[in-house]
Amino acid sequence: MNIKIYPKRYIQFIIKYDTVFIFLVMLIVSALVSDVFFTATNLFNLIRQVTPVGIISMGMLLVILTGGIDLSVGSIVAMVGVLCSLFTQTMPLYLAITASLICGLLTGSISGYLVSVQKMAPFIATLALMSIIRGLGFIFSKGAPILVSENASSLTDFGSGNSLGIPNPSLILLLIFAITSILLKYNVFGRIIIAIGSNEEAVRLSGIKVNAFKFSVYAIAGFLSGVAGILTTARTAVGSPVMGSGMELDVIATVVIGGASLSGGKGSAINTLLGVLILGMIGNIMNLMNIPAYSQQVIKGLIIIFAVLLQRFQKNSN
Amino acid sequence: MITTTFIKVNRVELRNISKSFGGIAALKNVTLEVIAGEIHALVGENGAGKSTLMKILSGACAKDNGQIFIDGNEVQIKNTYDSKKLGIGIIYQEFSLVPALSVAENIFLNQLGATSSWMNWAAMKKKAVELINNIGFSINPSLKVADLSIAEQQIVEIAKALSEHVRVLILDEPSAVLGPREIQKLFDTLNRLKKEGVTIIYISHHLSEVFRIADRISVLKDGTSVGHLPVAETSRDSIIRLMLGRPLNAMYPLRDPVIGVEALKVVDIHAAEKVKGVSFSVKEGEIIGLAGLVGSGRTETARAIFAADRSAGGTIILFGKELRLRSPQMAVSKGIGMEPEDRKQHGVILSLSVKQNISLSNFKGITDHFGFINAKKEKYNTAELIRRLDIKTENENHETGKLSGGNQQKVSLAKWLNRDCRVLIIDEPTRGVDVGAKVEIYNLINELSHKGVAIIVISSETTELMGICDRILVMRKGKIQGELTKEKYSEEDILRLSIGATLNTET
Repeated sequence: MNIKIYPKRYIQFIIKYDTVFIFLVMLIVSALVSDVFFTATNLFNLIRQVTPVGIISMGMLLVILTGGIDLSVGSIVAMVGVLCSLFTQTMPLYLAITASLICGLLTGSISGYLVSVQKMAPFIATLALMSIIRGLGFIFSKGAPILVSENASSLTDFGSGNSLGIPNPSLILLLIFAITSILLKYNVFGRIIIAIGSNEEAVRLSGIKVNAFKFSVYAIAGFLSGVAGILTTARTAVGSPVMGSGMELDVIATVVIGGASLSGGKGSAINTLLGVLILGMIGNIMNLMNIPAYSQQVIKGLIIIFAVLLQRFQKNSN
Repeated sequence: MITTTFIKVNRVELRNISKSFGGIAALKNVTLEVIAGEIHALVGENGAGKSTLMKILSGACAKDNGQIFIDGNEVQIKNTYDSKKLGIGIIYQEFSLVPALSVAENIFLNQLGATSSWMNWAAMKKKAVELINNIGFSINPSLKVADLSIAEQQIVEIAKALSEHVRVLILDEPSAVLGPREIQKLFDTLNRLKKEGVTIIYISHHLSEVFRIADRISVLKDGTSVGHLPVAETSRDSIIRLMLGRPLNAMYPLRDPVIGVEALKVVDIHAAEKVKGVSFSVKEGEIIGLAGLVGSGRTETARAIFAADRSAGGTIILFGKELRLRSPQMAVSKGIGMEPEDRKQHGVILSLSVKQNISLSNFKGITDHFGFINAKKEKYNTAELIRRLDIKTENENHETGKLSGGNQQKVSLAKWLNRDCRVLIIDEPTRGVDVGAKVEIYNLINELSHKGVAIIVISSETTELMGICDRILVMRKGKIQGELTKEKYSEEDILRLSIGATLNTET
């Protein structure tokens, strides 16, 4: 054969597009190990399942780009879900949704305030909020799942319905992804967020209101967690105080699998979205293969380690 | 070559040492001979390669080429452990002490756990006291290093080196942080060590000190050795000529200042313990210099004017209007710019592109109402600045961290040119910058002042301030010690003011 193969070049290509590579490998493996994977029903379910994590991951990406972290997102999902259900019982739907979204935004703003103005370590501030908000969710619901009012059927119809063969919530994920992607690439907001994660002090001394930007990323993450909470409630017609437990870890994992650096300054929306799908596929395929839940956790952890090691390989090869 | 080598032994000999960093040669075939038991000064401008050469000798940095001989035998120094075994100790400009640990622990840090995993506090403290007393000081060995003065910390560094039985002691700019009395004590210590047979390599660019302490001088310039001279047979002028490679004044642009109205006036600036009531003013088109030792409060004064530190305060009057600045963002919006001292930490973001760095100071011209960046305008704007400052980069998307120090500095300057400042504070404009880029930066500063910008330059290089400034204020211990107008410039007076001595030219 006359065709020359340059293995080095292929390896470099793989390293450069590591997230895409992992995604494709996952796709192929999934197709090989299960004939059910590539059925419309399964893909539909997969996409629907990953949507809440996907929506929050866009907010988490912004937080992580500034070099921060937000552990309170899962708790916000639960609290906003509970509140939304409660609100539907007493308010018109549009008000209930608006009020719930504001609750998410406000909660995120508290983290933002603590981190930016009070200079608290993001891990600590949001860890405290994670506990507080989870508790509030239980208090508001008195520990029981709250049913969405029957008057709010348009909400539940939307949440469980689909358009163009795609679940409605997933369409919202696509919209949020598009906005994040555009903001990061073409807007000053994204430019400054990334700069802050690279070197906060240099940005401050350039005359930029660093605090305002740091505040806003947590507020956005809180808001998007609220969106995810409402959509989850809409789909199941129940707002439960246990929703989203441990979700913050899944969200952080997707952002990291998507190649973002936890020290900030590096990451993209498209790769984060791929990270969401990768993590979703791992869970999905293991379910299809009837792997027990405990083993699933172990395998998930291993794949995260593998993904991050691959990224370090990329860093070193530069 | 050198007649003395027949009589005395070379304790250290570096032969044809070369080293480059990312394609830029830091050292080119440098040769250095240090006779046993002498104090050998290594002088040269910033960036001449002094520190790199010593890092190679101490194993902190690997050489590309060349040979190292100790007592006539060729040795391989691959890491700091190798050099330690050969009896070479080095004290860096930045101390390598652990602030949270005690004096005794710091001195024996490298030996902890060598014989036993258990701490023998009593023995350790006793030995520490002995070592410190031996060099003529007394410091309580139980004190935390963080609570010591800079001078005392330096003594601890020396004691630490001596605890490892050094035969060759390298000191990198030790006097930069010391006051005159402390310098005298340091010199006494060095002379005593010399008598005990320790060979000392003393790096400095303060010639007055070098002439006081050294037996012989080696001069480095742009990474090459340009002279080895016994102190007795040379003069300061000839050393300066060797260091610069040209007469002093050829480096600096001709000043023909067009001075306008008072641009900035600051009254009673204070910042924590560092600045205690500084007042001065600068006019449009004027360049003033802030001189003083490291730690004299120059940088803190600049940061206070720029509202970079919360603890700072004072009255700031810009074109007759008093400002209440609470953040750098406010200062910038009023037309004050500051190029920070530490370029890599605060000046530019190394991981971002040249374009991203330059735009960071001003998005106004390149964005629409919603903050969306017009890629075309941004590219045009950045390319224009790259051309104007002659920044050597492939294109505007090149990573800033991959540029040379001089070009990084130009990117940092470009940020402020990108935003029309009326007052620009430049802290250490040429630290770690090669000579060619220095001249370009001086010209740029000069050019800016011609456009009416009031400029405050902070620098540790006195000659640089004398070359580009119209006036020099000398700071000492957080206050302005004195002011020199251009016709009264002398390096000696600036040094005298900065160490608190009286001027001998006041007649």
